[in-house]
Amino acid sequence: MAPLEHYLIVSALLFTIGVMGVIVRRNVIVVVMSIEIMLNAANLAFISFGRFLDSMDGQLIVFFVMAVAAAEAAVGLAIVILIYRNRESTDVDEMNLLKL
Amino acid sequence: MMGGAIFFYLVAGVTLGGALGVVVSPSPLYSILSLIAAFLGLAGLYLSLSAEFIAAVQVIVYAGAIMVLFLFVVMLLDLGRDERKPLRLPVQKLFGTIAALAVFATILKVIESDSILTGARGIYPAERVSELGNTQVVGRLLFTEYLLPFQAMGVLLFVGIIGAVVLARRRTG
Repeated sequence: MAPLEHYLIVSALLFTIGVMGVIVRRNVIVVVMSIEIMLNAANLAFISFGRFLDSMDGQLIVFFVMAVAAAEAAVGLAIVILIYRNRESTDVDEMNLLKL
Repeated sequence: MMGGAIFFYLVAGVTLGGALGVVVSPSPLYSILSLIAAFLGLAGLYLSLSAEFIAAVQVIVYAGAIMVLFLFVVMLLDLGRDERKPLRLPVQKLFGTIAALAVFATILKVIESDSILTGARGIYPAERVSELGNTQVVGRLLFTEYLLPFQAMGVLLFVGIIGAVVLARRRTG
């Protein structure tokens, strides 16, 4: 098995890619996907630490994070559909008003 | 031992390549397919960390259910026109990459410090877990020690379903 540092570096790179996606991309669906990437980077760190500390808590927390991510994806995509219906666009640059 | 390292670098490459594909690909559809590849790679990483149950859940819930949800929304909406418009902020890509690299440098600083693994040891070494069965241990903990968060998770998913239905419903009248 690879050492802990390697797993953490993969996790850090994954998180960095997620941050880059949120900042650089303008399509709101890709932004939501980048948030999912960041959640998964945190999951990888949780499981790596749990494995190297002989603990199951990491895996349990990842289980809960997955449930939260599923709920977040459902509600987030519903909001995306709502925005598209009102503005005919999914460009985050055009979402500059609090009212639709 | 050698095979384990090769497997790690293989799935880590698939994961990072897939995640990078999400950010750079021009079409949201290709982004989704890259993200599925990244999630499958992550499931491989979880397997190499002997978290078999979580790896299975990763494939079923993430690469399966959540990505189908994304796919439905992308096919429901007419996308792709937005990305061809010029950027409102031309330096956005440059500054975004610099900011992301700053985040990476900060995390790397923490990883390389010596005090990364100082927590107390748990009572579940990998050998014991594989002896008891990974899924059995997760299930036992879920219904004893983590019962309250487990039930709260049920409430959260219920609220999520209702919220999604209420938001996406077509207003009549």
